[in-house]
Amino acid sequence: MAAEIVFNILIGLGVLFYLAQAIQLPATDNPADVLGAGGFPIIIGVIALIGLAMITIHTIKEKRKVDIPMLNLRSVDGRMVFINVLVLAAYVGLLDVIGFVLATLIYLVVAPLSMGYRKPAALAVFSGVTTAVMVVVFGILFYVPLPRGAELFRDLSYLIY
Amino acid sequence: MDIIIQSLVAVYNPMTFLLVCVGMLFGMICGALPGLSTSMAIILLLPFTYSMDPIMAIILMVSCYVGGSCGGSISSILLKTPGTPEAVATTFDGYPMAQKGKAGEALGLAVTASSFGTIFSAFVMLLASPMLAQAALSFQSAEYFGLGLIGLSCITSLGAKNQTKAVVSVMIGLMIGTIGIDSINGVERFAFEQPSLLNGINYISVMIGAFAVAEVYKNIEEYRHVDTSLRSEHKVKIKLLKFSEMAKMWSSFIRGSVIGTIIGIIPAAGGSIASLIAYGSEAQNENANPKFGEGNPRGIIAPECSHNAAVGGSMVPTLTLGIPGSPVAAVIMAAFLIIGLTPGPMLLREQPIMLNAIFLALITAALLLFVGGRFVTSQFGHILKLPYPLLGSLIITLGLVGAYSLKNSFYDVLIMFVFGLVGYFFDKFKYSNAAVILGLILGEIIENSLRKQIIIGDGSGMGFVTRPVSVLVLTVAVLTFLWPMMSKKIKKNKLARQVSQ
Repeated sequence: MAAEIVFNILIGLGVLFYLAQAIQLPATDNPADVLGAGGFPIIIGVIALIGLAMITIHTIKEKRKVDIPMLNLRSVDGRMVFINVLVLAAYVGLLDVIGFVLATLIYLVVAPLSMGYRKPAALAVFSGVTTAVMVVVFGILFYVPLPRGAELFRDLSYLIY
Repeated sequence: MDIIIQSLVAVYNPMTFLLVCVGMLFGMICGALPGLSTSMAIILLLPFTYSMDPIMAIILMVSCYVGGSCGGSISSILLKTPGTPEAVATTFDGYPMAQKGKAGEALGLAVTASSFGTIFSAFVMLLASPMLAQAALSFQSAEYFGLGLIGLSCITSLGAKNQTKAVVSVMIGLMIGTIGIDSINGVERFAFEQPSLLNGINYISVMIGAFAVAEVYKNIEEYRHVDTSLRSEHKVKIKLLKFSEMAKMWSSFIRGSVIGTIIGIIPAAGGSIASLIAYGSEAQNENANPKFGEGNPRGIIAPECSHNAAVGGSMVPTLTLGIPGSPVAAVIMAAFLIIGLTPGPMLLREQPIMLNAIFLALITAALLLFVGGRFVTSQFGHILKLPYPLLGSLIITLGLVGAYSLKNSFYDVLIMFVFGLVGYFFDKFKYSNAAVILGLILGEIIENSLRKQIIIGDGSGMGFVTRPVSVLVLTVAVLTFLWPMMSKKIKKNKLARQVSQ
């Protein structure tokens, strides 16, 4: 219950911040534009706040326990999800530095390992083949833009796609 | 008669037939892969059409449009990652059905419904093009506002377990939709001087995060405790519907196709809005078994019929008025201009067999969907045989390519990552990710048309109730919102009467 209340409070704070910003939006020069740039955001923000208050009251009354493994790092499942969030964050962060090919190659090895997959040979084949197929299909065949990385990695990527 | 014979010859010669097959299959593959879209598939085909006969070129692109529109549902059903924006609504029931080990059945429903929707709209296009195009032009801001509200009525079914949470989720989606430059008076809203936020937040990256990434997190927690072989079939094979099964669900086929054709004809509306509205109208049935959102076949049929019917529908204003009926039709219209044809009233006079040829190409491509669907699905089926740690990582990588390729922007990947976490917690606390997406997609059309109509009315909202079409659309919108509550009350009263008797 506590986790859900905290979650609702966080959303509520976000909505309040949104409303504060919406109120400050400049009025329009057009007198016919009654709502202006801030009118619609204020309406939906207020509805969201009222809804959130109702949900929170209901949550307090209901006292329902919600299991969220990601927040329980003592459990194996929780650790696994949490580590995977970090691995994905690292992948996203690395993309713009070392480029798609290397980052994907590393991610496709590290992510399955962090999910408990323990077949190194299969993993190496999977990682290599998947990265190659993706680069060929998206980058070379269909000219879909893929991240190139920075400096040397950027220059090298032009040799591939 | 001459024109009909010429059209038949134009479409059913070996070369053109091959082009229909290639276009449909190429569109389907591109549609099924997140990161490639139907518009991109058509753009990629464009260079090949420069030296072609205009009719052959248009047939190739229209077939690609049909294939792409259907292909998006394959990854929606199998991976919970919509390949195209039109396939968002298909995930609501398609993925749960696949989770129950009925992936083949779900894909069969999707292909059959797509085919039906395309054929339906092709006939409408052939028989009533000029008249419908003129009628569509009477749609103005007030009517678009009503359409947006009908789309939002989906929340009554998406949030069946907790309506308040569904409403809050939709509001959050609408709020995210307001980020960026206000298109009415150019004011910068909630962008905090970040150039990447000025264009707003693209719903595709939000969708990939909230659906695909969040689902992978959820499965990481569960896969060691669940026998995954029971959740997905060993070999995914399309199970086509029998005529008797189709007949049982005829109303969903017709409703979805009619909605899709009408929305397709309305300029700039398109398949994604059509499929959401069709899903919303279908999901009003509270007594459905299984419930909507838990793998109801009608929850696949309606959106699939609808967005494929929007293909033929969107060709109506494109051909007859030179106004694209959808974003993909806009690309096709550009192709018309490149190959030296000017869409509009004169086109059908100058190219008398064009309309018939497009009609035949639509029908042929729709029938070929069954063959293409089998092929693409069997290839996708191999992916599902992977152990979950590999499959999950692959889904994330595909999603990442899909998000990045939208605008060649790293920022969309960040959005995907953030909404992966948001989607995970929304799922845990029973908020509705689908409602967030719904709000995000429909936010722009609702706010802009609301404000435009008020501006047209010189500050008054009377235009919403004085325009007959608007009154009709708004009445339908209000009824679709209220119907679930009304039907509950009617049932309660009935039960109370029975008890008292």
